[in-house]
Amino acid sequence: MSALPRPSTLFLAAITTLVAVLLYSPLFVPIVSSFFTISHGDVDWSSPTLSTYRTLAGNHDILAALRTTLIVGLCTVVLSVVSGTLLALYYHGRRSGRSVLQFIIFLPFLMPPIISGLALLIFFREIGLERSLLTVIIGHTVFVLAIVYRTVLMRLQSMSRTLVEASYDLGATGWQTFWRVILPNLSSAMVGGAILAFALSFDETMITILVTGTQSTLPVRLWAMMRLGFSPDINALVALILMFTVLLCVLAARFLIPRQMATERA
Amino acid sequence: MSKAGSTHTEQGHLSLLVTVLAFALPVIFILVPLAIFLIYSFFSVDQGTIVYAPTLGNYVRFFTDPIFLPVFWNTIVLCVSVAIICILLAYPAAYFLTTLKGRWRYALLMLLLVPLLMSYVIKIYAIRSILGLNGFLNKALVATGTLEQPSTLFVFNMNAILLTLSLLLIPFAILPIFLSLERIPQTLLRASDDLGASGLQTFLRITLPLSLPGVASAASFVFVLAIGDFLTPQMVGGISGFTFGRILYSQFGTAYNWPFGAALSVALAIVVICAILIGERFGRSRGTSI
Repeated sequence: MSALPRPSTLFLAAITTLVAVLLYSPLFVPIVSSFFTISHGDVDWSSPTLSTYRTLAGNHDILAALRTTLIVGLCTVVLSVVSGTLLALYYHGRRSGRSVLQFIIFLPFLMPPIISGLALLIFFREIGLERSLLTVIIGHTVFVLAIVYRTVLMRLQSMSRTLVEASYDLGATGWQTFWRVILPNLSSAMVGGAILAFALSFDETMITILVTGTQSTLPVRLWAMMRLGFSPDINALVALILMFTVLLCVLAARFLIPRQMATERA
Repeated sequence: MSKAGSTHTEQGHLSLLVTVLAFALPVIFILVPLAIFLIYSFFSVDQGTIVYAPTLGNYVRFFTDPIFLPVFWNTIVLCVSVAIICILLAYPAAYFLTTLKGRWRYALLMLLLVPLLMSYVIKIYAIRSILGLNGFLNKALVATGTLEQPSTLFVFNMNAILLTLSLLLIPFAILPIFLSLERIPQTLLRASDDLGASGLQTFLRITLPLSLPGVASAASFVFVLAIGDFLTPQMVGGISGFTFGRILYSQFGTAYNWPFGAALSVALAIVVICAILIGERFGRSRGTSI
């Protein structure tokens, strides 16, 4: 149907390609370099090797940081999904105070993380809470709460009221309706929110730097390592983390998108 | 009947508990820390200990000391430039996406947004290695004969911060612009075409004005993220790339002047709030009038 592409279309396509290259080059460079040895800043392209991955497996610092990141991530997911869902359920359909509280929940997300992090740092000091993994978990939860809240609230709003009414009509109690009707309908939004929360927590650096004690998470550890200079095993780590993130993206999309599209079509 | 009554009071207690919890969590962990932070900006430091007596000294120092305001302005100019670069690159890309049909449109959109979810620190590191003296960019420029020897133009200075932030934040500009372009009714474009307007005229008179709300929110997003970022200037800025975020952070580290740092943060927060409000104002007023 369409004729030959016009010059303007070609121009737009060229810029889009440029943008894609710009966005993906910082992702591919470390992945590609991870399979080659680097000496004196020059990459030896002749012989691909897995040696950087072997070095990485023996790097206890990194493995400890990875474990910390996972612990923080899982605790953050549990806390933010439980409280985010409760908050969404509470504020769904309620007018009084909702906009104010919603604003407060979104504050840490709108404010630069350096401000949220410093505010928490001073807060923990004032209430006498030592900087530790607990303070990191609280910081992450405060930061990702808005995302989980919003994900669950959007699903609640798209949920048809007739389902709840039908449940009551059939003689179910409030609890039964909640467990058998509302919660199952929210579950995929909760899982999607949980994955997003985990991904955000996995990557959170600024707040963590400020409120962490002696244990550091992976991004913080990486940050410290990179300031000292390059190390080839970072490339291997980078490649692994990127693959892991892609997996998370695919999972999040699987839980969040198909249902929404299905409800839109229905 | 009595059973129903007891569950009612039970539910009453429960809903009271839930209400308290619903308010307590955001208030204790979000509002209170920010309030304490604001109060801190009115305290002062004397020989390494914080004096809990209200003073405007920190704010006076911010406005009168010759160091802080210039860095503050430079940082704002830097972040406005980042927003402009991002929009110049994102607008054509977003426009191209809307010319595509069906599944391709969203597949390509996803492709351009996925880098957002990739680790921030890692991207900064990779960009630094690309821009560096031994980096791919310099090697490519030397290999193609553009440069005779590797240039230090892109490493450890303001240029490096500008380029890195722009690269990191482009996706944040693509999404709002794409959404506003997609919302433009096709009938308007067809009407314009029917009335004899050229493609360029239609774009300038219809598409561009109607997509400005998206551009406004994109600019405000990018600006806010850029000005709040401290990791990028710290990683790629070197000594000459000194931004407001770095001064702010140093007050909490080496300088150990938390109240002054808090006052600097308040200045930063005010700029951020203004940028968000301006973005909202232009993003919304045009949007609702359509």
